[in-house]
Amino acid sequence: MRYKLEIDTNIDHVLNDSSDDVVYEVDLERRNFLRNAALVGGLTIAPGVMLYQTAHAKPDDEPVTDKHRWGMLIDTNVCQEDCDACVTACNEEHGLWDLGRPKTDAQWIRKLNIKDKLTGHVTSLPMMCQHCEHPPCVDVCPTRASFKRADGIVLVNPHTCIGCRYCMMACPYKARSFIHEPLVDQLPHAPRGKGCVESCTLCVHKVDRGDNNTACAEACAKDGHQALLFGDLNDPNSEISKQLEKHGGVQIRADLNLNTGVRYSGL
Amino acid sequence: MRKIIKKYLVYVLLVITLIFCAIGITIAYAHNDHPEIPPPKENYNDETLCVEPVEVMRKEHFTFVLDHRDKTVIDGIRTKKHSLIECIECHITANAKGEYARYSEETHFCASCHQFAAVNIDCFQCHADRPEEAIRKAINPNQTVDQSSEQKIQHYLQFSNAEH
Repeated sequence: MRYKLEIDTNIDHVLNDSSDDVVYEVDLERRNFLRNAALVGGLTIAPGVMLYQTAHAKPDDEPVTDKHRWGMLIDTNVCQEDCDACVTACNEEHGLWDLGRPKTDAQWIRKLNIKDKLTGHVTSLPMMCQHCEHPPCVDVCPTRASFKRADGIVLVNPHTCIGCRYCMMACPYKARSFIHEPLVDQLPHAPRGKGCVESCTLCVHKVDRGDNNTACAEACAKDGHQALLFGDLNDPNSEISKQLEKHGGVQIRADLNLNTGVRYSGL
Repeated sequence: MRKIIKKYLVYVLLVITLIFCAIGITIAYAHNDHPEIPPPKENYNDETLCVEPVEVMRKEHFTFVLDHRDKTVIDGIRTKKHSLIECIECHITANAKGEYARYSEETHFCASCHQFAAVNIDCFQCHADRPEEAIRKAINPNQTVDQSSEQKIQHYLQFSNAEH
């Protein structure tokens, strides 16, 4: 049974009024089967322990597709000014060991505190790669090392990166770091080295594993703040899509029309 | 009598030369012991041992990882068969003392052959040369003062300079 479904895949419908509807052909039977299989799997493995994430994992031998678009919603009302659990978790997850040189040390996620001069209100938020739909870093890369994966994650391919740092200049969010020194003791899932630019990967190794979460979001939830919500922007039933529909979310530098995958609420 | 001595002198000299040669080779081998490399964790299967037949792997392993890296980085294909992480995970094991060799040491599985064959690779400038548990054990996550990383970098630089 194949139906033609009209799905509004552009998450901008929540935020902006201009959006193009895309027609997708969806195999409903397969989707239902998968959903049932996931439900059965989730229930039978262990009561109380729901392994929903295993249902979302793609098979290892299949390439990623644009069926998903991974993104994040950050609630700045919940984000605490003095908390940097997300930064610590990211450093720990990817082995971003401190070299004691804050000006040049790699930084994939950082905390910003913005004070409103009029009211004195301080807004705290984490800033990282915004995983744009139209990433300027990809536009300027001379070797196509900076690229956007089919599922919307913007990455650097270190095998082709020549370290020219054009992408760092192009990025409106100052999200990228350049590695100036030889590194040792890198972790297997996060290869990094001298002469390459790097930035937040949206925990691509965890996404591919089917964890359906990032290290920063996990750490934030563990600290009881729940300010970071990771999810699939293309799936209207995902928590992030529901939250965006309900409460909205803004892009930082929305004027650049980059359609970022990372959205903020409470700004 | 002289004639007999002359006749056999050649043979005697030959035998002496051969004996010296044999002693020389023995001494050379004794000094040139191959480093003892810890065996891999397990065989992939009984037939080919590694993910491909061993002769093929010896000649072609780099083409396999080269092909696989683009699939992984760009398309997110995470099969384990030709993944560098899995090579390291299986081949780099602890020695009797429980220590894992770094790529800069000749007892490292990759380095043992690369050093012999004078092959220079860049893989381990970025990629982990030991399994994750070994790296997590080696690093002190609480390090803030830079003493130890500085030393590690010096060590690295010395090694890479010596290599070139």
